[in-house]
Amino acid sequence: MSAASLPAALPEAGGLAAESVAKRFGGVTALDAVSLDLRPGEIHGLIGPNGSGKTTLLNLLSGYYRPDAGEVRLDGEALSRRSVQRRPRLGIARTFQKPRLLGHLTVLDNAMLGAWRDVRAGFLATALGLPSVLREETDLRERAADLVHGVGLGHAIHRRANLLEHAEQRFLEIARALALRPRFLLLDEPAGGLTGAEIAHLADIVRTIRDGGIGVLLVEHHTDFVFRVCGRVTTLDRGRLIKHGTPDEVRTDAEVVRVYLGA
Amino acid sequence: MRGSASGLSLALAGLALVTLPWWSGDLYQLHLVSLIGAYWVLVAGLNLVVGFAGQLSIGHVGLLAVGAYGFAVLAGTLGLDPLLVLPLCGALGGAAGLLLGLPSLRLPGFYFAMATMAFALIVTELSLAWGGLTGGGTGLSVPGFPAPFHTPWGQYWLILAIGAAVTAMTWGIARRMWGRALIAVRDSEVAAASVGINVFRVKLTVFVFSGVTAGLGGALFAALQTYITPDTFVFEIGLFFFVCIIIGGRGSILGPLIGTAVLTALPELVAPLAKLGTFFYGLTLLIVVLLVPEGIGRLVEVLAARLRAEPHRSHEVRPDLARLRRALTSQAGASPPVGEPPPVGETRPPEAPALAREALP
Repeated sequence: MSAASLPAALPEAGGLAAESVAKRFGGVTALDAVSLDLRPGEIHGLIGPNGSGKTTLLNLLSGYYRPDAGEVRLDGEALSRRSVQRRPRLGIARTFQKPRLLGHLTVLDNAMLGAWRDVRAGFLATALGLPSVLREETDLRERAADLVHGVGLGHAIHRRANLLEHAEQRFLEIARALALRPRFLLLDEPAGGLTGAEIAHLADIVRTIRDGGIGVLLVEHHTDFVFRVCGRVTTLDRGRLIKHGTPDEVRTDAEVVRVYLGA
Repeated sequence: MRGSASGLSLALAGLALVTLPWWSGDLYQLHLVSLIGAYWVLVAGLNLVVGFAGQLSIGHVGLLAVGAYGFAVLAGTLGLDPLLVLPLCGALGGAAGLLLGLPSLRLPGFYFAMATMAFALIVTELSLAWGGLTGGGTGLSVPGFPAPFHTPWGQYWLILAIGAAVTAMTWGIARRMWGRALIAVRDSEVAAASVGINVFRVKLTVFVFSGVTAGLGGALFAALQTYITPDTFVFEIGLFFFVCIIIGGRGSILGPLIGTAVLTALPELVAPLAKLGTFFYGLTLLIVVLLVPEGIGRLVEVLAARLRAEPHRSHEVRPDLARLRRALTSQAGASPPVGEPPPVGETRPPEAPALAREALP
């Protein structure tokens, strides 16, 4: 398979990269020697049929899994030993296929939670309500409110998250992830279940995020959307990388058409 | 978060408690309210563990006993100043909480509950075995506080002041970032990890705090009882604390306070209920869990929400890209250098396996 030739040597610095990573679950090989690099200020699409390993790769990049072989690097530094709670502090944020929100808290509270890595207030200082804690709380609230309005949830900012509709939940997850001040944002099927109008909003938001210098990885089934917004696209099939390139190169690749897009 | 109604109720309750001397001259009632206060000092801290962080500790009676025996030994046997011993008991309880929390807080819910139960049973056995220190089965008599806290009224004021301080502290935690982090730990460890919350460290911090309040509560409790034996700290008391919180409602502070007051006072004031004993607690728990699973703290809120007609709610998502852009650029300016060193005192052991419990997408 000529298409299996890997992209050229990955840049040593300035990106989030998976290098020849492999992941097995029992006897099943979910990913086999797959490489992908995500640069600041780009939208990188990751497509492929169901079970091709897209979400597995995202979970490797965000630290939920550890690779059985290969390495995940940030700016050239190996990450595989870093625990999952460490990744957000390094500037890697993600959303989930099935939104993971705190239903009892309001939209604003959920977005604020994303700013946890900037919390300097200790437990005791918080309990005592020291002035520095109150100031920090106000700052984080304002920032989170900007993001909530920014992604279009201003109308629901004080609503409990379990009263949100599906699209609102997806956008709130993006706001929460942005509250981390990430350098890289990994979106797991953000367009799933969205209407055409909502996908158009999503495209605007993702482009705005990119223009802010953030590298966005878009794991997505909705290929029209991917080809429209992405600068580069990587295609997986059964755990292997079959094509990597610009949207036009990928869309017209014979192998991609055969296994995924259909004739 | 949830609003001023709770704040107003708390203020009213506080007013009633402060003015208690002027509308009740009954020493028995005073003792009862003092007992509720001593219990509440423990329950307030435990509430952050159970109601907010969702860690089901049923063995806090063990920490209560640590504080109580600590007070009896340090202030009684060794004769130290009781007011000095009080913070020492808090430290003792915190240390015991750390000792218990370190190995057990990594365990999933059920096993964690069992570990706290085992701890409570061990403390009772130790208090029997270390007769030289604890007086064994005969127990220890406990000194009271020096003036101005030597009268029943003085003791009441002391307990009230400590109870108010502890309540204010848990209130401060609950409504700020730490409170959100605790609820994230309770409701979704995956979401918590995705924003960088060190789940174990957050659990341990709040558990040690609950140990401190349990130690303080234990000292106040011992001084109120004037005499303690291992039988004072039966396992049912640990369950009782737990039930106070569940009945009061998770994620509420006022609710568990009401729960503690009602469950302590009712069996004392209504004689037939006293005969029912533990059965009464069980029945109350069953009723609340079946009818108002949100807890009595939320009862008013839930009823009001049901009566109020649901207003038409917009669900249309309309991004404000200019504002988003502004938020992103202002954030970039505030961004610390990449690869910043972790805050001091943070050593994070690898924890990925702990997350395997929650299914990934």
